[in-house]
Amino acid sequence: MDASEKTVNGFRFLPPGLAAWIRRRIPEEEFKSAIPWAPMARPLNHATLALVTSAGISLKSQAPFDMEREKREPLWGDRSYRAIPRGSAAKDIQARHLHINTAYIEQDINVMLPLERMAEFEQEGIIGRLADTHYSFYGFQWENLDFIREAIAPMAVQMQAEGVGAALLTPA
Amino acid sequence: MGLAARYLEEKGISTVVLTPTPDFHRAVGIPRSAAIEFPYGRPVGEVGDREGQREVLLAALAVFEKAAKPGEVHHLPFTWHEEPKETKWHPPEMSPLIRTYLDEIKAAAKR
Repeated sequence: MDASEKTVNGFRFLPPGLAAWIRRRIPEEEFKSAIPWAPMARPLNHATLALVTSAGISLKSQAPFDMEREKREPLWGDRSYRAIPRGSAAKDIQARHLHINTAYIEQDINVMLPLERMAEFEQEGIIGRLADTHYSFYGFQWENLDFIREAIAPMAVQMQAEGVGAALLTPA
Repeated sequence: MGLAARYLEEKGISTVVLTPTPDFHRAVGIPRSAAIEFPYGRPVGEVGDREGQREVLLAALAVFEKAAKPGEVHHLPFTWHEEPKETKWHPPEMSPLIRTYLDEIKAAAKR
Protein backbone atom coordinates (compact mmCIF):
# COMPACT_ATOMS: atom_id res chain seq x y z
CA MET A 1 0.00 0.00 0.00
CA ASP A 2 1.30 3.45 -0.86
CA ALA A 3 1.96 6.01 1.82
CA SER A 4 -1.23 7.84 0.88
CA GLU A 5 -3.24 4.78 1.96
CA LYS A 6 -5.79 5.37 -0.76
CA THR A 7 -7.89 2.30 -1.51
CA VAL A 8 -9.09 2.36 -5.09
CA ASN A 9 -12.84 2.03 -5.51
CA GLY A 10 -13.22 0.15 -8.80
CA PHE A 11 -16.97 0.79 -8.81
CA ARG A 12 -16.81 4.58 -8.49
CA PHE A 13 -17.58 5.32 -12.13
CA LEU A 14 -20.36 2.74 -12.50
CA PRO A 15 -24.07 3.43 -12.12
CA PRO A 16 -25.29 1.86 -8.82
CA GLY A 17 -27.34 -0.93 -10.42
CA LEU A 18 -24.48 -2.09 -12.60
CA ALA A 19 -22.06 -1.88 -9.65
CA ALA A 20 -24.36 -4.01 -7.49
CA TRP A 21 -24.82 -6.55 -10.28
CA ILE A 22 -21.08 -6.89 -10.88
CA ARG A 23 -20.32 -7.14 -7.15
CA ARG A 24 -22.67 -10.10 -6.90
CA ARG A 25 -20.73 -11.89 -9.65
CA ILE A 26 -17.30 -11.49 -8.03
CA PRO A 27 -16.40 -14.29 -5.61
CA GLU A 28 -16.02 -13.08 -2.01
CA GLU A 29 -12.95 -15.13 -1.25
CA GLU A 30 -9.38 -14.37 -2.29
CA PHE A 31 -7.99 -16.18 -5.31
CA LYS A 32 -6.71 -19.51 -4.01
CA SER A 33 -4.83 -21.23 -6.83
CA ALA A 34 -1.15 -20.59 -7.44
CA ILE A 35 -0.42 -17.36 -9.30
CA PRO A 36 2.48 -17.58 -11.77
CA TRP A 37 5.39 -15.31 -10.92
CA ALA A 38 8.42 -14.24 -12.92
CA PRO A 39 10.79 -12.24 -10.70
CA MET A 40 12.33 -9.22 -12.41
CA ALA A 41 15.45 -10.61 -14.11
CA ARG A 42 17.08 -7.15 -14.09
CA PRO A 43 16.17 -3.71 -12.79
CA LEU A 44 13.67 -1.76 -14.85
CA ASN A 45 16.30 0.68 -16.05
CA HIS A 46 18.05 -2.24 -17.74
CA ALA A 47 14.94 -4.15 -18.83
CA THR A 48 13.13 -4.19 -22.17
CA LEU A 49 9.49 -3.23 -21.75
CA ALA A 50 6.45 -4.01 -23.90
CA LEU A 51 2.93 -2.65 -23.60
CA VAL A 52 -0.22 -4.75 -23.88
CA THR A 53 -3.76 -3.46 -23.91
CA SER A 54 -7.16 -5.12 -24.17
CA ALA A 55 -8.76 -2.03 -25.68
CA GLY A 56 -9.17 -3.26 -29.25
CA ILE A 57 -6.61 -0.93 -30.83
CA SER A 58 -5.48 -1.67 -34.39
CA LEU A 59 -3.45 0.21 -36.95
CA LYS A 60 -5.47 1.85 -39.69
CA SER A 61 -3.51 -0.41 -42.07
CA GLN A 62 -4.84 -3.49 -40.20
CA ALA A 63 -8.35 -4.91 -40.01
CA PRO A 64 -10.28 -3.36 -37.12
CA PHE A 65 -11.47 -5.69 -34.36
CA ASP A 66 -14.76 -7.38 -35.23
CA MET A 67 -17.67 -6.11 -33.15
CA GLU A 68 -20.45 -7.77 -35.12
CA ARG A 69 -19.95 -11.28 -33.74
CA GLU A 70 -20.25 -10.04 -30.18
CA LYS A 71 -23.43 -8.19 -31.04
CA ARG A 72 -24.92 -11.50 -32.18
CA GLU A 73 -23.50 -13.48 -29.24
CA PRO A 74 -22.90 -11.06 -26.36
CA LEU A 75 -20.82 -13.18 -23.99
CA TRP A 76 -17.42 -13.01 -25.68
CA GLY A 77 -15.54 -10.82 -28.10
CA ASP A 78 -13.11 -10.99 -31.02
CA ARG A 79 -10.23 -13.32 -30.14
CA SER A 80 -7.59 -11.94 -32.46
CA TYR A 81 -4.71 -9.64 -31.59
CA ARG A 82 -2.72 -6.92 -33.33
CA ALA A 83 0.97 -6.07 -33.15
CA ILE A 84 1.40 -2.31 -32.79
CA PRO A 85 4.91 -1.02 -33.60
CA ARG A 86 6.60 1.53 -31.38
CA GLY A 87 6.22 5.00 -32.80
CA SER A 88 2.53 4.50 -33.55
CA ALA A 89 0.48 7.59 -32.69
CA ALA A 90 -3.20 8.44 -32.46
CA LYS A 91 -3.33 9.34 -36.16
CA ASP A 92 -2.18 5.80 -37.05
CA ILE A 93 -4.73 3.80 -35.08
CA GLN A 94 -8.39 3.00 -34.59
CA ALA A 95 -10.02 1.53 -31.49
CA ARG A 96 -13.09 -0.70 -31.41
CA HIS A 97 -14.61 -1.74 -28.10
CA LEU A 98 -18.25 -2.13 -27.13
CA HIS A 99 -17.75 -1.53 -23.39
CA ILE A 100 -15.98 1.83 -23.33
CA ASN A 101 -15.92 5.11 -25.22
CA THR A 102 -12.97 4.66 -27.57
CA ALA A 103 -12.94 8.29 -28.78
CA TYR A 104 -10.36 9.26 -26.13
CA ILE A 105 -7.90 6.60 -27.32
CA GLU A 106 -8.27 7.80 -30.89
CA GLN A 107 -7.49 11.35 -29.71
CA ASP A 108 -4.49 10.36 -27.56
CA ILE A 109 -3.19 6.79 -27.75
CA ASN A 110 -1.30 7.34 -24.48
CA VAL A 111 -4.43 7.23 -22.33
CA MET A 112 -4.49 3.47 -23.01
CA LEU A 113 -1.30 2.44 -24.82
CA PRO A 114 1.32 4.96 -23.61
CA LEU A 115 3.89 4.51 -26.37
CA GLU A 116 4.98 8.15 -26.40
CA ARG A 117 5.38 8.36 -22.61
CA MET A 118 7.43 5.14 -22.59
CA ALA A 119 9.67 6.43 -25.39
CA GLU A 120 10.34 9.43 -23.13
CA PHE A 121 11.15 7.10 -20.22
CA GLU A 122 13.55 5.18 -22.47
CA GLN A 123 15.31 8.45 -23.40
CA GLU A 124 15.51 9.38 -19.72
CA GLY A 125 16.90 5.99 -18.66
CA ILE A 126 13.88 5.10 -16.50
CA ILE A 127 13.39 1.92 -18.54
CA GLY A 128 16.23 0.13 -20.32
CA ARG A 129 14.60 -0.17 -23.72
CA LEU A 130 11.14 0.11 -25.22
CA ALA A 131 10.43 -2.99 -27.32
CA ASP A 132 9.87 -2.65 -31.05
CA THR A 133 6.46 -4.35 -30.86
CA HIS A 134 3.45 -3.78 -28.58
CA TYR A 135 0.14 -5.61 -28.49
CA SER A 136 -3.57 -5.08 -28.47
CA PHE A 137 -6.34 -7.61 -28.11
CA TYR A 138 -9.98 -7.45 -27.12
CA GLY A 139 -10.39 -8.15 -23.46
CA PHE A 140 -13.77 -9.73 -23.21
CA GLN A 141 -12.72 -13.39 -23.24
CA TRP A 142 -13.03 -15.22 -19.90
CA GLU A 143 -11.11 -18.48 -19.49
CA ASN A 144 -10.57 -19.60 -23.03
CA LEU A 145 -7.89 -21.93 -24.39
CA ASP A 146 -8.49 -20.86 -27.99
CA PHE A 147 -7.72 -17.28 -27.00
CA ILE A 148 -4.45 -18.36 -25.38
CA ARG A 149 -3.44 -20.34 -28.45
CA GLU A 150 -4.49 -17.76 -31.03
CA ALA A 151 -3.47 -14.54 -29.32
CA ILE A 152 -1.55 -14.71 -26.05
CA ALA A 153 0.93 -17.43 -27.01
CA PRO A 154 2.06 -15.72 -30.24
CA MET A 155 2.39 -12.40 -28.37
CA ALA A 156 4.65 -14.09 -25.81
CA VAL A 157 6.78 -15.65 -28.56
CA GLN A 158 7.31 -12.24 -30.19
CA MET A 159 8.14 -10.67 -26.82
CA GLN A 160 10.73 -13.35 -26.10
CA ALA A 161 12.27 -12.81 -29.54
CA GLU A 162 12.62 -9.10 -28.69
CA GLY A 163 14.12 -9.80 -25.25
CA VAL A 164 11.16 -8.37 -23.33
CA GLY A 165 11.53 -8.82 -19.58
CA ALA A 166 8.64 -6.66 -18.37
CA ALA A 167 5.16 -6.01 -19.75
CA LEU A 168 2.76 -3.30 -18.62
CA LEU A 169 -0.83 -4.36 -19.23
CA THR A 170 -3.69 -1.88 -19.50
CA PRO A 171 -7.18 -3.37 -19.45
CA ALA A 172 -10.00 -1.44 -21.07
CA MET B 1 -6.25 -9.50 -18.90
CA GLY B 2 -5.69 -12.02 -16.12
CA LEU B 3 -5.11 -14.77 -18.67
CA ALA B 4 -2.49 -12.71 -20.48
CA ALA B 5 -0.65 -11.69 -17.31
CA ARG B 6 -0.56 -15.22 -15.96
CA TYR B 7 0.62 -16.68 -19.26
CA LEU B 8 3.39 -14.11 -19.68
CA GLU B 9 4.64 -14.74 -16.13
CA GLU B 10 4.76 -18.46 -16.88
CA LYS B 11 7.00 -17.61 -19.83
CA GLY B 12 9.37 -15.59 -17.66
CA ILE B 13 8.06 -12.09 -18.43
CA SER B 14 7.23 -9.94 -15.38
CA THR B 15 3.91 -8.11 -15.62
CA VAL B 16 2.07 -5.24 -13.98
CA VAL B 17 -1.63 -4.77 -14.71
CA LEU B 18 -2.70 -1.12 -14.39
CA THR B 19 -6.27 -1.86 -13.41
CA PRO B 20 -9.31 0.34 -12.82
CA THR B 21 -11.16 -2.76 -11.51
CA PRO B 22 -9.03 -4.26 -8.73
CA ASP B 23 -11.91 -6.18 -7.16
CA PHE B 24 -12.69 -7.96 -10.37
CA HIS B 25 -9.04 -8.64 -11.04
CA ARG B 26 -8.41 -9.92 -7.51
CA ALA B 27 -10.83 -12.72 -8.27
CA VAL B 28 -8.88 -13.93 -11.30
CA GLY B 29 -5.41 -13.98 -9.72
CA ILE B 30 -3.30 -11.18 -11.20
CA PRO B 31 0.45 -11.46 -10.46
CA ARG B 32 1.13 -7.73 -9.87
CA SER B 33 -1.57 -5.05 -9.90
CA ALA B 34 -1.39 -1.27 -9.78
CA ALA B 35 -4.95 -0.17 -9.03
CA ILE B 36 -6.03 3.20 -10.37
CA GLU B 37 -9.30 5.04 -9.66
CA PHE B 38 -9.66 6.39 -13.19
CA PRO B 39 -12.55 5.77 -15.59
CA TYR B 40 -12.55 2.70 -17.83
CA GLY B 41 -10.76 3.35 -21.09
CA ARG B 42 -8.34 5.96 -19.72
CA PRO B 43 -6.27 4.12 -17.07
CA VAL B 44 -3.15 6.20 -17.80
CA GLY B 45 -4.87 9.57 -17.54
CA GLU B 46 -6.63 12.31 -19.42
CA VAL B 47 -6.24 13.09 -23.12
CA GLY B 48 -3.27 15.41 -23.67
CA ASP B 49 -2.20 15.45 -19.99
CA ARG B 50 1.43 14.47 -20.52
CA GLU B 51 2.54 15.28 -16.97
CA GLY B 52 -0.36 13.44 -15.35
CA GLN B 53 0.20 10.39 -17.56
CA ARG B 54 3.88 10.36 -16.62
CA GLU B 55 3.10 10.42 -12.89
CA VAL B 56 0.67 7.51 -13.17
CA LEU B 57 3.09 5.49 -15.29
CA LEU B 58 6.03 6.08 -12.96
CA ALA B 59 3.90 4.86 -10.05
CA ALA B 60 2.74 1.82 -12.05
CA LEU B 61 6.28 0.96 -13.17
CA ALA B 62 7.46 1.14 -9.56
CA VAL B 63 5.22 -1.85 -8.83
CA PHE B 64 7.51 -4.07 -10.96
CA GLU B 65 10.17 -3.63 -8.30
CA LYS B 66 8.00 -3.11 -5.20
CA ALA B 67 5.77 -6.17 -5.50
CA ALA B 68 7.21 -8.94 -3.35
CA LYS B 69 4.82 -11.82 -3.92
CA PRO B 70 2.16 -12.98 -6.40
CA GLY B 71 -1.26 -11.39 -6.08
CA GLU B 72 -0.20 -8.07 -4.57
CA VAL B 73 -2.34 -5.03 -5.36
CA HIS B 74 -0.70 -1.62 -5.01
CA HIS B 75 -3.29 1.16 -4.82
CA LEU B 76 -2.10 4.29 -6.63
CA PRO B 77 -2.92 7.59 -4.90
CA PHE B 78 -4.35 9.52 -7.88
CA THR B 79 -7.80 11.13 -8.07
CA TRP B 80 -9.66 11.67 -11.35
CA HIS B 81 -10.36 15.33 -12.11
CA GLU B 82 -14.11 14.92 -12.76
CA GLU B 83 -16.93 13.60 -10.62
CA PRO B 84 -18.29 10.21 -11.78
CA LYS B 85 -21.54 11.81 -12.97
CA GLU B 86 -19.61 14.11 -15.30
CA THR B 87 -17.23 11.43 -16.56
CA LYS B 88 -18.21 10.15 -19.98
CA TRP B 89 -16.51 6.77 -20.22
CA HIS B 90 -19.55 4.87 -21.50
CA PRO B 91 -19.78 3.52 -25.03
CA PRO B 92 -22.11 5.48 -27.32
CA GLU B 93 -24.44 2.44 -27.43
CA MET B 94 -25.29 0.11 -24.56
CA SER B 95 -22.98 -2.93 -24.76
CA PRO B 96 -24.52 -6.24 -25.85
CA LEU B 97 -23.67 -7.74 -22.45
CA ILE B 98 -25.49 -5.02 -20.53
CA ARG B 99 -28.43 -5.24 -22.91
CA THR B 100 -28.61 -9.01 -22.31
CA TYR B 101 -28.64 -8.62 -18.54
CA LEU B 102 -30.53 -5.35 -18.31
CA ASP B 103 -33.43 -6.77 -16.31
CA GLU B 104 -31.07 -8.30 -13.73
CA ILE B 105 -29.11 -5.04 -13.51
CA LYS B 106 -32.28 -2.99 -12.98
CA ALA B 107 -33.33 -5.46 -10.28
CA ALA B 108 -29.92 -5.15 -8.59
CA ALA B 109 -30.36 -1.36 -8.49
CA LYS B 110 -33.54 -1.71 -6.42
CA ARG B 111 -32.08 -3.91 -3.69
